[in-house]
Amino acid sequence: MNESEPAKIGPFSRRTFLKSLGTTAVATAAVQAQTMAAELEKVNAEKTIGPGTVPVTLKVNGEMLKLQLEPRVTLLDALRNYSSLTGSKEGCDRGTCGACTVMINDVPVYSCMKLAIEAQGQAITTVEGLAKNGKLTKVQQAFLNRDALMCGYCTPGFVMSVTALLRKNPHPTADDVRHACSGNLCRCGTYPRIMEAAFEASGVAKVAINKTEVIPYA
Amino acid sequence: MKAFEYATAHSVNSAQEMVADNGQYIAGGNDLLGLLKEYIVDPKILVSVKSLPGLDRVETGSKVWTIGTNVTVAQIEDHSAIRKTFPGLAQAAAEVGSQQIRNVATVGGNISQHSRCWYFRHRDVLCLKKEGDMCYARHGENKYHSLFTGNTCISPVVSNLAIAFAALDATAVVQRAGKPVRMSMAEFYAKAFENPTAHNSLNPGDLVLKVEIPTTRTHSAYMQTSEKHEFDWALVSCAAAANITNGKLSNARVALGSISPVPHQVDAANEYLEGKTLDEATVTHAADMILHGAKPHEHNGYKVPMAHALIRRTLLKLNA
Repeated sequence: MNESEPAKIGPFSRRTFLKSLGTTAVATAAVQAQTMAAELEKVNAEKTIGPGTVPVTLKVNGEMLKLQLEPRVTLLDALRNYSSLTGSKEGCDRGTCGACTVMINDVPVYSCMKLAIEAQGQAITTVEGLAKNGKLTKVQQAFLNRDALMCGYCTPGFVMSVTALLRKNPHPTADDVRHACSGNLCRCGTYPRIMEAAFEASGVAKVAINKTEVIPYA
Repeated sequence: MKAFEYATAHSVNSAQEMVADNGQYIAGGNDLLGLLKEYIVDPKILVSVKSLPGLDRVETGSKVWTIGTNVTVAQIEDHSAIRKTFPGLAQAAAEVGSQQIRNVATVGGNISQHSRCWYFRHRDVLCLKKEGDMCYARHGENKYHSLFTGNTCISPVVSNLAIAFAALDATAVVQRAGKPVRMSMAEFYAKAFENPTAHNSLNPGDLVLKVEIPTTRTHSAYMQTSEKHEFDWALVSCAAAANITNGKLSNARVALGSISPVPHQVDAANEYLEGKTLDEATVTHAADMILHGAKPHEHNGYKVPMAHALIRRTLLKLNA
Protein backbone atom coordinates (compact mmCIF):
# COMPACT_ATOMS: atom_id res chain seq x y z
CA MET A 1 0.00 0.00 0.00
CA ASN A 2 1.26 3.44 -0.83
CA GLU A 3 1.81 5.23 2.49
CA SER A 4 1.03 8.64 1.04
CA GLU A 5 -2.46 7.51 0.03
CA PRO A 6 -3.86 5.23 2.70
CA ALA A 7 -7.17 3.48 2.14
CA LYS A 8 -10.05 5.86 2.73
CA ILE A 9 -13.03 4.93 4.83
CA GLY A 10 -15.66 7.57 4.19
CA PRO A 11 -14.24 11.04 4.62
CA PHE A 12 -11.46 9.78 6.88
CA SER A 13 -8.50 7.60 6.19
CA ARG A 14 -8.01 4.99 8.89
CA ARG A 15 -4.78 6.63 9.87
CA THR A 16 -6.02 10.21 10.10
CA PHE A 17 -9.11 9.03 11.95
CA LEU A 18 -7.00 7.21 14.54
CA LYS A 19 -4.68 10.14 14.80
CA SER A 20 -7.50 12.57 15.48
CA LEU A 21 -8.76 10.23 18.20
CA GLY A 22 -5.48 9.37 19.80
CA THR A 23 -3.74 12.66 20.09
CA THR A 24 -3.94 15.58 22.41
CA ALA A 25 -1.70 17.69 20.28
CA VAL A 26 -0.93 21.09 21.64
CA ALA A 27 0.26 23.77 19.26
CA THR A 28 2.71 22.15 16.90
CA ALA A 29 3.36 25.21 14.84
CA ALA A 30 6.90 25.72 13.67
CA VAL A 31 8.72 28.35 15.67
CA GLN A 32 11.77 30.33 14.86
CA ALA A 33 15.17 28.88 15.75
CA GLN A 34 15.74 31.90 17.95
CA THR A 35 12.70 31.10 20.00
CA MET A 36 14.00 27.57 20.36
CA ALA A 37 17.36 28.77 21.61
CA ALA A 38 15.59 30.98 24.13
CA GLU A 39 13.42 28.08 25.26
CA LEU A 40 16.46 25.88 25.58
CA GLU A 41 18.25 28.44 27.65
CA LYS A 42 15.26 28.62 29.95
CA VAL A 43 15.20 24.86 30.37
CA ASN A 44 18.94 24.65 30.87
CA ALA A 45 18.95 27.43 33.42
CA GLU A 46 19.67 26.16 36.89
CA LYS A 47 16.14 26.27 38.14
CA THR A 48 13.65 23.66 39.07
CA ILE A 49 10.80 23.08 36.64
CA GLY A 50 7.73 20.87 36.86
CA PRO A 51 6.18 18.65 38.06
CA GLY A 52 3.42 20.38 36.07
CA THR A 53 3.64 21.09 32.35
CA VAL A 54 6.46 23.19 30.98
CA PRO A 55 7.13 24.45 27.46
CA VAL A 56 9.18 21.93 25.49
CA THR A 57 10.52 22.60 22.00
CA LEU A 58 11.61 19.63 19.93
CA LYS A 59 13.27 19.71 16.54
CA VAL A 60 11.81 16.69 14.80
CA ASN A 61 12.61 15.94 11.15
CA GLY A 62 13.71 19.55 10.71
CA GLU A 63 10.50 21.03 12.09
CA MET A 64 10.06 22.73 15.43
CA LEU A 65 7.38 21.25 17.65
CA LYS A 66 6.31 23.45 20.50
CA LEU A 67 4.63 21.41 23.21
CA GLN A 68 3.49 21.69 26.80
CA LEU A 69 4.72 18.61 28.66
CA GLU A 70 5.35 17.40 32.17
CA PRO A 71 9.02 16.55 32.77
CA ARG A 72 8.06 12.87 33.10
CA VAL A 73 6.84 12.60 29.49
CA THR A 74 9.13 10.44 27.39
CA LEU A 75 10.22 11.40 23.90
CA LEU A 76 8.19 8.49 22.52
CA ASP A 77 5.08 9.70 24.32
CA ALA A 78 5.70 13.24 23.08
CA LEU A 79 6.04 12.04 19.49
CA ARG A 80 3.11 9.65 19.41
CA ASN A 81 0.58 11.18 21.75
CA TYR A 82 1.37 14.88 21.69
CA SER A 83 2.55 15.32 18.09
CA SER A 84 0.75 12.73 15.93
CA LEU A 85 4.06 11.22 14.82
CA THR A 86 3.03 7.59 15.19
CA GLY A 87 5.82 6.09 13.09
CA SER A 88 7.88 5.27 16.18
CA LYS A 89 6.15 2.37 17.89
CA GLU A 90 5.64 1.57 21.54
CA GLY A 91 6.45 -2.04 22.29
CA CYS A 92 7.96 -2.78 25.66
CA ASP A 93 8.38 0.82 26.89
CA ARG A 94 11.48 -0.43 28.75
CA GLY A 95 14.34 -0.01 26.28
CA THR A 96 14.32 -3.63 25.23
CA CYS A 97 12.40 -4.14 21.98
CA GLY A 98 13.66 -1.28 19.79
CA ALA A 99 10.33 -0.46 18.14
CA CYS A 100 10.63 3.13 19.39
CA THR A 101 14.11 3.72 17.93
CA VAL A 102 14.72 7.25 16.65
CA MET A 103 17.91 9.08 15.83
CA ILE A 104 19.13 11.91 17.98
CA ASN A 105 21.98 13.78 16.29
CA ASP A 106 22.32 10.84 13.90
CA VAL A 107 22.74 8.12 16.51
CA PRO A 108 19.96 5.64 17.29
CA VAL A 109 18.40 5.80 20.75
CA TYR A 110 15.32 4.38 22.43
CA SER A 111 12.80 7.20 22.53
CA CYS A 112 10.92 5.39 25.33
CA MET A 113 13.91 5.74 27.64
CA LYS A 114 14.57 9.40 26.94
CA LEU A 115 12.69 12.23 28.60
CA ALA A 116 11.31 14.65 26.01
CA ILE A 117 12.71 17.65 27.90
CA GLU A 118 16.17 16.12 27.55
CA ALA A 119 15.84 15.81 23.77
CA GLN A 120 15.57 19.56 23.31
CA GLY A 121 18.15 21.38 21.24
CA GLN A 122 19.04 18.21 19.34
CA ALA A 123 18.11 17.00 15.88
CA ILE A 124 15.57 14.21 16.23
CA THR A 125 14.86 12.03 13.21
CA THR A 126 11.93 9.64 13.21
CA VAL A 127 11.04 7.16 10.50
CA GLU A 128 8.72 9.82 9.04
CA GLY A 129 11.73 12.03 8.39
CA LEU A 130 13.67 9.62 6.19
CA ALA A 131 11.82 9.74 2.87
CA LYS A 132 12.27 13.02 1.02
CA ASN A 133 9.67 14.27 -1.46
CA GLY A 134 7.85 10.97 -1.37
CA LYS A 135 10.96 9.03 -2.37
CA LEU A 136 11.95 6.20 -0.07
CA THR A 137 15.52 5.94 1.15
CA LYS A 138 17.74 3.07 0.00
CA VAL A 139 17.18 1.31 3.30
CA GLN A 140 13.39 1.67 3.13
CA GLN A 141 13.35 0.50 -0.48
CA ALA A 142 15.55 -2.48 0.39
CA PHE A 143 13.13 -3.49 3.16
CA LEU A 144 10.35 -3.45 0.57
CA ASN A 145 12.38 -5.27 -2.09
CA ARG A 146 13.42 -8.00 0.32
CA ASP A 147 10.01 -8.23 1.96
CA ALA A 148 11.81 -7.71 5.26
CA LEU A 149 8.68 -7.44 7.36
CA MET A 150 5.69 -9.48 8.34
CA CYS A 151 3.46 -7.63 10.78
CA GLY A 152 5.61 -4.53 10.37
CA TYR A 153 5.49 -3.32 13.96
CA CYS A 154 9.25 -3.56 14.47
CA THR A 155 10.04 -2.18 11.00
CA PRO A 156 10.40 1.55 11.79
CA GLY A 157 12.87 0.69 14.54
CA PHE A 158 14.88 -1.65 12.33
CA VAL A 159 14.92 0.90 9.52
CA MET A 160 16.35 3.48 11.93
CA SER A 161 19.00 1.08 13.26
CA VAL A 162 20.08 -0.03 9.79
CA THR A 163 20.10 3.56 8.53
CA ALA A 164 22.28 4.65 11.44
CA LEU A 165 24.64 1.72 10.90
CA LEU A 166 25.11 2.46 7.19
CA ARG A 167 25.82 6.11 7.89
CA LYS A 168 28.58 5.09 10.30
CA ASN A 169 29.77 2.03 8.41
CA PRO A 170 28.68 1.91 4.73
CA HIS A 171 29.99 -1.62 4.15
CA PRO A 172 29.13 -3.68 7.21
CA THR A 173 29.77 -7.36 7.74
CA ALA A 174 27.00 -9.70 8.87
CA ASP A 175 28.37 -9.40 12.42
CA ASP A 176 28.29 -5.61 12.19
CA VAL A 177 24.61 -5.77 11.20
CA ARG A 178 23.84 -8.16 14.06
CA HIS A 179 25.68 -5.93 16.54
CA ALA A 180 23.91 -2.79 15.31
CA CYS A 181 20.46 -4.42 15.24
CA SER A 182 20.74 -6.45 18.45
CA GLY A 183 18.63 -3.83 20.19
CA ASN A 184 15.66 -4.45 17.90
CA LEU A 185 13.37 -7.43 18.24
CA CYS A 186 11.22 -8.90 15.47
CA ARG A 187 8.71 -11.26 16.98
CA CYS A 188 7.72 -12.53 13.52
CA GLY A 189 11.33 -13.61 13.10
CA THR A 190 12.10 -11.89 9.81
CA TYR A 191 15.75 -11.48 10.74
CA PRO A 192 17.23 -13.14 7.60
CA ARG A 193 15.25 -10.77 5.36
CA ILE A 194 16.28 -7.79 7.43
CA MET A 195 19.90 -8.88 7.04
CA GLU A 196 19.38 -9.15 3.28
CA ALA A 197 17.81 -5.69 3.21
CA ALA A 198 20.74 -4.22 5.14
CA PHE A 199 23.15 -5.72 2.62
CA GLU A 200 21.12 -4.62 -0.38
CA ALA A 201 20.99 -1.07 0.97
CA SER A 202 24.75 -1.13 1.54
CA GLY A 203 25.26 -2.04 -2.10
CA VAL A 204 26.62 -5.52 -1.51
CA ALA A 205 25.63 -7.32 -4.69
CA LYS A 206 25.79 -10.91 -3.54
CA VAL A 207 24.27 -11.52 -0.17
CA ALA A 208 26.44 -14.15 1.46
CA ILE A 209 24.08 -15.28 4.19
CA ASN A 210 21.77 -18.20 4.65
CA LYS A 211 18.84 -18.01 2.28
CA THR A 212 15.43 -17.95 3.85
CA GLU A 213 13.97 -21.33 3.19
CA VAL A 214 10.90 -21.21 0.97
CA ILE A 215 8.45 -24.02 1.55
CA PRO A 216 6.42 -24.64 -1.61
CA TYR A 217 2.72 -25.45 -1.44
CA ALA A 218 2.03 -29.18 -1.65
CA MET B 1 5.78 6.94 36.38
CA LYS B 2 4.98 9.51 39.02
CA ALA B 3 5.49 13.19 38.32
CA PHE B 4 8.73 14.81 39.36
CA GLU B 5 10.53 18.11 39.19
CA TYR B 6 13.48 18.54 36.89
CA ALA B 7 16.60 20.68 36.91
CA THR B 8 19.83 20.92 34.98
CA ALA B 9 22.94 21.32 37.12
CA HIS B 10 25.77 23.53 35.92
CA SER B 11 28.19 22.72 38.72
CA VAL B 12 28.87 19.73 40.93
CA ASN B 13 28.02 21.72 44.05
CA SER B 14 24.67 22.90 42.75
CA ALA B 15 23.88 19.37 41.53
CA GLN B 16 24.38 18.04 45.04
CA GLU B 17 22.44 20.93 46.52
CA MET B 18 19.46 20.38 44.21
CA VAL B 19 19.39 16.60 44.51
CA ALA B 20 19.34 16.96 48.33
CA ASP B 21 17.87 13.97 50.20
CA ASN B 22 15.04 13.03 47.88
CA GLY B 23 16.34 13.54 44.38
CA GLN B 24 18.10 11.42 41.78
CA TYR B 25 20.79 12.30 39.29
CA ILE B 26 20.01 11.57 35.67
CA ALA B 27 22.52 11.19 32.85
CA GLY B 28 21.65 8.55 30.23
CA GLY B 29 18.56 7.61 32.19
CA ASN B 30 18.34 3.96 31.07
CA ASP B 31 18.46 2.52 34.57
CA LEU B 32 16.59 5.35 36.27
CA LEU B 33 13.65 5.42 33.85
CA GLY B 34 13.25 1.67 34.27
CA LEU B 35 13.08 2.13 38.05
CA LEU B 36 10.68 5.08 37.72
CA LYS B 37 8.35 3.22 35.37
CA GLU B 38 8.10 0.35 37.85
CA TYR B 39 7.57 2.76 40.78
CA ILE B 40 10.66 1.39 42.53
CA VAL B 41 12.16 4.80 43.20
CA ASP B 42 10.14 7.89 43.94
CA PRO B 43 12.35 10.96 43.61
CA LYS B 44 10.98 14.45 44.15
CA ILE B 45 13.40 15.84 41.60
CA LEU B 46 15.64 14.63 38.79
CA VAL B 47 18.86 16.59 38.44
CA SER B 48 20.54 16.28 35.08
CA VAL B 49 24.30 16.04 35.34
CA LYS B 50 24.86 15.92 31.58
CA SER B 51 25.77 19.61 31.40
CA LEU B 52 28.44 19.48 34.10
CA PRO B 53 31.56 20.96 32.55
CA GLY B 54 34.57 18.80 31.75
CA LEU B 55 33.08 15.43 32.65
CA ASP B 56 32.38 14.20 29.11
CA ARG B 57 35.95 13.59 28.02
CA VAL B 58 38.51 10.82 27.80
CA GLU B 59 41.88 12.24 28.82
CA THR B 60 44.95 10.22 27.98
CA GLY B 61 48.15 10.38 29.99
CA SER B 62 51.44 8.59 30.40
CA LYS B 63 50.57 7.22 33.87
CA VAL B 64 46.81 7.62 34.21
CA TRP B 65 43.87 7.96 31.82
CA THR B 66 40.78 9.76 33.01
CA ILE B 67 37.29 8.93 31.80
CA GLY B 68 34.63 11.49 32.71
CA THR B 69 31.38 10.28 34.23
CA ASN B 70 29.37 11.49 31.21
CA VAL B 71 31.45 9.66 28.62
CA THR B 72 29.06 7.26 26.92
CA VAL B 73 29.58 3.53 26.69
CA ALA B 74 29.48 3.86 22.88
CA GLN B 75 32.34 6.37 23.04
CA ILE B 76 34.42 3.84 24.96
CA GLU B 77 33.53 1.06 22.54
CA ASP B 78 34.51 3.17 19.51
CA HIS B 79 37.52 4.98 21.04
CA SER B 80 40.48 3.80 18.98
CA ALA B 81 43.07 4.67 21.64
CA ILE B 82 41.10 2.89 24.38
CA ARG B 83 40.76 -0.16 22.14
CA LYS B 84 44.52 -0.17 21.78
CA THR B 85 45.53 0.66 25.35
CA PHE B 86 42.73 -0.97 27.34
CA PRO B 87 41.20 -3.55 24.99
CA GLY B 88 39.49 -5.26 27.93
CA LEU B 89 37.57 -2.07 28.69
CA ALA B 90 36.50 -1.58 25.06
CA GLN B 91 35.38 -5.22 24.90
CA ALA B 92 33.36 -4.80 28.10
CA ALA B 93 31.72 -1.66 26.66
CA ALA B 94 30.81 -3.43 23.41
CA GLU B 95 28.85 -6.02 25.42
CA VAL B 96 26.74 -3.42 27.25
CA GLY B 97 23.08 -3.49 26.19
CA SER B 98 22.36 -2.59 22.59
CA GLN B 99 23.58 0.17 20.28
CA GLN B 100 20.66 2.35 21.37
CA ILE B 101 21.56 1.87 25.03
CA ARG B 102 25.31 2.34 24.58
CA ASN B 103 24.68 5.62 22.74
CA VAL B 104 23.16 7.21 25.84
CA ALA B 105 24.47 5.10 28.74
CA THR B 106 27.27 6.78 30.67
CA VAL B 107 30.24 5.52 32.63
CA GLY B 108 28.90 6.93 35.90
CA GLY B 109 25.48 5.40 35.31
CA ASN B 110 26.88 2.05 34.27
CA ILE B 111 28.87 1.55 37.45
CA SER B 112 26.12 3.00 39.69
CA GLN B 113 23.23 1.04 38.17
CA HIS B 114 20.92 -0.81 40.51
CA SER B 115 20.37 -4.52 40.94
CA ARG B 116 18.74 -6.44 38.09
CA CYS B 117 17.30 -9.09 40.41
CA TRP B 118 13.79 -9.77 39.16
CA TYR B 119 12.37 -9.65 42.68
CA PHE B 120 13.94 -6.24 43.25
CA ARG B 121 12.70 -5.02 39.84
CA HIS B 122 9.14 -6.25 40.44
CA ARG B 123 6.97 -3.41 41.60
CA ASP B 124 4.81 -5.64 43.81
CA VAL B 125 7.59 -7.48 45.61
CA LEU B 126 8.94 -5.87 48.75
CA CYS B 127 12.21 -7.74 48.96
CA LEU B 128 15.12 -7.34 51.31
CA LYS B 129 16.84 -4.92 48.94
CA LYS B 130 13.79 -2.66 49.15
CA GLU B 131 13.91 -2.89 52.95
CA GLY B 132 11.42 -5.76 53.06
CA ASP B 133 11.72 -8.83 55.25
CA MET B 134 13.31 -11.46 53.06
CA CYS B 135 15.34 -12.27 49.98
CA TYR B 136 12.89 -14.05 47.71
CA ALA B 137 15.68 -15.20 45.40
CA ARG B 138 17.36 -17.34 48.07
CA HIS B 139 14.56 -19.86 48.04
CA GLY B 140 12.96 -18.78 44.79
CA GLU B 141 14.20 -18.41 41.22
CA ASN B 142 17.89 -17.72 41.51
CA LYS B 143 19.50 -18.78 38.24
CA TYR B 144 21.00 -15.29 37.67
CA HIS B 145 22.18 -14.77 41.24
CA SER B 146 25.40 -14.71 43.23
CA LEU B 147 27.82 -17.46 44.20
CA PHE B 148 29.42 -15.24 46.83
CA THR B 149 27.97 -12.69 49.22
CA GLY B 150 28.42 -11.39 52.73
CA ASN B 151 24.74 -10.77 53.40
CA THR B 152 21.30 -12.25 52.86
CA CYS B 153 20.56 -10.59 49.50
CA ILE B 154 22.06 -12.58 46.62
CA SER B 155 21.71 -10.12 43.73
CA PRO B 156 25.03 -9.68 41.91
CA VAL B 157 26.82 -6.68 40.40
CA VAL B 158 25.95 -6.51 36.68
CA SER B 159 28.07 -3.59 35.44
CA ASN B 160 30.41 -4.77 32.67
CA LEU B 161 32.58 -1.69 32.95
CA ALA B 162 33.10 -2.18 36.68
CA ILE B 163 34.57 -5.62 36.03
CA ALA B 164 37.03 -4.26 33.46
CA PHE B 165 37.81 -1.31 35.73
CA ALA B 166 38.49 -3.68 38.63
CA ALA B 167 40.94 -5.77 36.59
CA LEU B 168 42.67 -2.57 35.44
CA ASP B 169 42.86 -1.35 39.07
CA ALA B 170 40.90 1.79 38.20
CA THR B 171 39.79 4.35 40.77
CA ALA B 172 36.41 6.05 40.86
CA VAL B 173 36.44 9.67 41.96
CA VAL B 174 33.23 10.44 43.80
CA GLN B 175 32.06 13.82 45.06
CA ARG B 176 30.98 13.33 48.68
CA ALA B 177 30.08 16.04 51.17
CA GLY B 178 31.72 18.76 49.12
CA LYS B 179 34.95 17.03 48.30
CA PRO B 180 36.23 14.32 45.97
CA VAL B 181 36.77 10.86 47.47
CA ARG B 182 38.79 8.18 45.68
CA MET B 183 37.57 4.61 45.68
CA SER B 184 38.93 1.41 44.18
CA MET B 185 36.28 -0.74 42.50
CA ALA B 186 36.38 -3.00 45.57
CA GLU B 187 35.61 0.01 47.78
CA PHE B 188 33.02 1.34 45.32
CA TYR B 189 30.92 -1.81 45.83
CA ALA B 190 32.01 -2.98 49.31
CA LYS B 191 28.81 -1.82 51.00
CA ALA B 192 26.70 -4.04 48.71
CA PHE B 193 28.62 -7.07 50.02
CA GLU B 194 27.67 -6.31 53.63
CA ASN B 195 24.39 -4.49 53.37
CA PRO B 196 21.40 -6.05 51.58
CA THR B 197 19.78 -2.70 50.74
CA ALA B 198 22.92 -1.26 49.10
CA HIS B 199 23.69 -1.46 45.37
CA ASN B 200 27.12 0.07 45.88
CA SER B 201 28.95 2.18 48.44
CA LEU B 202 27.50 5.51 47.33
CA ASN B 203 25.67 7.55 49.93
CA PRO B 204 22.59 9.55 48.95
CA GLY B 205 23.81 12.63 47.08
CA ASP B 206 27.20 11.13 46.16
CA LEU B 207 28.08 11.80 42.54
CA VAL B 208 30.58 9.88 40.41
CA LEU B 209 32.84 12.43 38.70
CA LYS B 210 35.29 10.28 36.78
CA VAL B 211 37.21 7.04 36.66
CA GLU B 212 41.01 6.97 36.55
CA ILE B 213 42.82 4.05 34.97
CA PRO B 214 46.53 3.52 35.56
CA THR B 215 48.51 2.53 32.47
CA THR B 216 50.47 0.02 34.56
CA ARG B 217 49.06 -3.01 32.74
CA THR B 218 49.77 -3.40 29.04
CA HIS B 219 47.43 -6.31 28.39
CA SER B 220 43.75 -6.63 29.18
CA ALA B 221 40.79 -8.74 28.08
CA TYR B 222 37.11 -9.13 28.86
CA MET B 223 34.72 -11.98 28.13
CA GLN B 224 31.18 -12.78 29.13
CA THR B 225 28.71 -15.58 28.62
CA SER B 226 25.06 -14.76 28.12
CA GLU B 227 21.94 -16.61 27.05
CA LYS B 228 21.74 -14.45 23.94
CA HIS B 229 24.73 -13.78 21.70
CA GLU B 230 24.08 -10.01 21.78
CA PHE B 231 22.16 -7.55 23.97
CA ASP B 232 21.98 -9.59 27.12
CA TRP B 233 23.15 -9.44 30.69
CA ALA B 234 26.15 -11.56 31.49
CA LEU B 235 25.48 -14.86 33.25
CA VAL B 236 29.13 -14.57 34.22
CA SER B 237 31.62 -11.94 33.10
CA CYS B 238 35.37 -11.90 33.51
CA ALA B 239 38.10 -9.35 32.97
CA ALA B 240 41.84 -9.79 33.30
CA ALA B 241 44.75 -7.39 33.03
CA ALA B 242 48.50 -7.80 33.39
CA ASN B 243 51.93 -7.03 32.05
CA ILE B 244 53.52 -9.76 30.02
CA THR B 245 57.29 -9.67 29.64
CA ASN B 246 59.10 -12.55 27.93
CA GLY B 247 55.99 -14.64 28.42
CA LYS B 248 55.87 -13.99 32.21
CA LEU B 249 52.94 -12.31 33.94
CA SER B 250 53.28 -9.46 36.36
CA ASN B 251 50.73 -7.25 38.14
CA ALA B 252 48.01 -9.64 37.01
CA ARG B 253 44.46 -9.06 38.16
CA VAL B 254 41.30 -11.01 37.48
CA ALA B 255 37.78 -9.82 38.29
CA LEU B 256 34.42 -11.50 37.75
CA GLY B 257 30.95 -10.07 37.47
CA SER B 258 27.44 -11.45 38.03
CA ILE B 259 28.60 -13.88 40.73
CA SER B 260 28.89 -11.53 43.72
CA PRO B 261 27.52 -8.11 44.75
CA VAL B 262 31.06 -6.82 44.17
CA PRO B 263 33.52 -7.45 41.32
CA HIS B 264 34.81 -10.80 42.56
CA GLN B 265 38.58 -10.64 43.06
CA VAL B 266 40.84 -12.97 45.00
CA ASP B 267 44.13 -11.39 46.03
CA ALA B 268 45.80 -14.78 46.54
CA ALA B 269 45.08 -15.74 42.93
CA ASN B 270 46.49 -12.45 41.65
CA GLU B 271 49.61 -13.08 43.72
CA TYR B 272 49.85 -16.66 42.47
CA LEU B 273 49.91 -15.39 38.86
CA GLU B 274 52.95 -13.18 39.50
CA GLY B 275 55.88 -14.40 37.37
CA LYS B 276 53.91 -17.32 35.94
CA THR B 277 53.76 -18.32 32.28
CA LEU B 278 50.32 -18.22 30.70
CA ASP B 279 49.50 -21.85 30.11
CA GLU B 280 46.64 -24.23 30.74
CA ALA B 281 48.01 -25.40 34.10
CA THR B 282 48.50 -21.86 35.42
CA VAL B 283 45.09 -20.56 34.43
CA THR B 284 43.37 -23.69 35.75
CA HIS B 285 45.02 -23.30 39.13
CA ALA B 286 44.13 -19.59 39.20
CA ALA B 287 40.50 -20.40 38.36
CA ASP B 288 40.39 -22.99 41.17
CA MET B 289 41.66 -20.39 43.63
CA ILE B 290 39.26 -17.67 42.43
CA LEU B 291 36.19 -19.88 42.74
CA HIS B 292 37.17 -21.52 46.01
CA GLY B 293 34.31 -21.25 48.48
CA ALA B 294 31.61 -20.56 45.88
CA LYS B 295 28.15 -21.25 47.28
CA PRO B 296 25.69 -22.04 44.51
CA HIS B 297 21.95 -21.91 45.10
CA GLU B 298 19.25 -24.14 43.65
CA HIS B 299 19.40 -22.82 40.07
CA ASN B 300 22.79 -21.19 39.60
CA GLY B 301 25.19 -24.10 40.06
CA TYR B 302 26.03 -23.88 36.36
CA LYS B 303 27.83 -20.62 37.08
CA VAL B 304 30.74 -22.40 38.79
CA PRO B 305 32.03 -24.34 35.75
CA MET B 306 31.05 -21.43 33.49
CA ALA B 307 33.09 -18.99 35.57
CA HIS B 308 35.97 -21.48 35.67
CA ALA B 309 36.02 -21.68 31.86
CA LEU B 310 35.71 -17.91 31.50
CA ILE B 311 38.64 -17.25 33.84
CA ARG B 312 40.82 -19.65 31.85
CA ARG B 313 39.77 -18.24 28.48
CA THR B 314 40.08 -14.61 29.52
CA LEU B 315 43.56 -15.12 30.97
CA LEU B 316 44.68 -16.98 27.85
CA LYS B 317 43.19 -14.21 25.73
CA LEU B 318 45.71 -11.81 27.31
CA ASN B 319 48.32 -13.42 25.09
CA ALA B 320 46.28 -13.09 21.92
